[in-house]
Amino acid sequence: MNPQNQTPTIKNAYTQTFRAIRSTPEFFWPFFIFAILESVFLLILFLAPREPLRLVLGPPIRTFWGERFLHYPANFLLLPKLSSLSRMFLSVFFGSLLTGTAVAMAVDVFTKGKARFDNSLKTALKKYLVLFAIILVVTVLFYLALRFSSTALVKYFIAGHRKLLFIPAALWLGPLAVIINLAVAIVIQALFTYAIPALMAENQRFITCIFRSFVAFKDLFGKTLLLVTLPILAYLPIIVLNYNAAFLIRKAFPEIILIVLLAGVFISALVVDLLITYSTAFLYLLYRNKK
Amino acid sequence: MKRTLATFGILVIFAALLAGCTNDQYAIEKQFWYAQKQADTIFANPHATPPNELQRVIGVLGRFAQRYPETPLSLEAEFTIARLCLATKEYDAGRKQLQRIMEKYSKNTAICSEAVFLYGNSYELQDKWPLALEQYQKIIHEYQFTPRGISMPMYIAEHYKVKFEPEKMRQALQDAISHYQTLAIRFPNSQLSFTAHTLIAQCYMGLQDWQNAIGALDTVINRYRTKAPVDEFIVNKAVIYSRELNDKATAKEILQQFIKDYPRSGLIATAKQLLKKLE
Repeated sequence: MNPQNQTPTIKNAYTQTFRAIRSTPEFFWPFFIFAILESVFLLILFLAPREPLRLVLGPPIRTFWGERFLHYPANFLLLPKLSSLSRMFLSVFFGSLLTGTAVAMAVDVFTKGKARFDNSLKTALKKYLVLFAIILVVTVLFYLALRFSSTALVKYFIAGHRKLLFIPAALWLGPLAVIINLAVAIVIQALFTYAIPALMAENQRFITCIFRSFVAFKDLFGKTLLLVTLPILAYLPIIVLNYNAAFLIRKAFPEIILIVLLAGVFISALVVDLLITYSTAFLYLLYRNKK
Repeated sequence: MKRTLATFGILVIFAALLAGCTNDQYAIEKQFWYAQKQADTIFANPHATPPNELQRVIGVLGRFAQRYPETPLSLEAEFTIARLCLATKEYDAGRKQLQRIMEKYSKNTAICSEAVFLYGNSYELQDKWPLALEQYQKIIHEYQFTPRGISMPMYIAEHYKVKFEPEKMRQALQDAISHYQTLAIRFPNSQLSFTAHTLIAQCYMGLQDWQNAIGALDTVINRYRTKAPVDEFIVNKAVIYSRELNDKATAKEILQQFIKDYPRSGLIATAKQLLKKLE
């Protein structure tokens, strides 16, 4: 039986993903390029307190976070935040193009049986503005949701409440905040995950892509959430280590934060992003065929 | 395009190499952190530290201080050496180190006051309070305008409190009040005068002389209302009326006025809770 006519399952999506990666190693390229780019930015941020980079990066760090973060070892406490901001910037400007390239390769493999990185890059370049807009919307929504949840919690406890749903403030503002952030990230990513496949496979307009993504998300609700959540689990150790940055610095050495962040860059790009992008793209293509 | 990317790449690598190789302030801070971390290991268990390990770490800190004499971290390293000696009961070596600091920084009263304080601490650790007190009195008289000099009379009173010597504590608090009153009169309308008046109020509270404590708090509130944040003193006054003098009506009046006058104060939630309890 032709697998393209079956009801799309998670197994189908992963089978297609791993088959494509095995047959075409170029599938790694978009994510490898992004990991390299992110590592370079991370190294620049790591060297921000030192001359000559301090001349350029020192004033904004001093203005937004304070002088102490330009000194050893406090700069390592700020590094995860700076790294997350640089990731947002890179995702919008370069990640959008590279994700588009990856999805274009998935579409080519699905429809023609073969894909080339340079051809897919050209296809993605032609649709860069829409790709940029989609990732920008996701990033802004993600940022606003995080800001809203953390501000709401802080305001609630500053107002004098000691517990929320029988759970003390320390837990809400500590590990639970991390879990909430993760849940928010999963939901937002799942909601918009089919927008780029819709754009690359069907060449739709921005609004139509977003609408198609919502519809596909509704139809493939459980599967989408699982496809987004499972790879993110691989990133959990990095989240836990980043959350305990001060403890790590005290017990080991400050540079361990850089090592953890670099490991996070590669896990995030080569495992999380790669699996989510390809598996959801293939699931969408199977779902579209079934329809 | 390729050439632009290559130029950018070379520039980034060049900047990174430059940033990693220079012996700038950041590199000095890094060296200090690692030296201090070795000292912290000794502080965590000073009595189990072998003498050669102590000498090694003192050597690391000493070389750091010599290599970078112009940085504030050099002074910190020198103080750490003294503290290491005291923590490992090498009192004479510690005092010699403090003497060196006092000679080296003789023109800086704040540094000297800290060195003398640690010198006094060394006698306290040996249970030689009279000798320690001698050093503390020296701080009060010779370095009275330094942060350590200002807090010293209260430190002495606190010592007697911890040692359960109430009479000596009362006397120390009385002496502290006289000392702070002299300072406040000598430098009226200054930051020092503000600090002196707040410490006078604290001394009266330590003596449980509530009427005089309220008088001192009133002086701070009335004199410095426009120059410094006084909300803490107003709430303290209400607490004294309510808990110590059992005058709930006055306490309520003060809190109601406070909530009206300082709606943006960080103590508003506390004031409202206190008021709720009184009602």
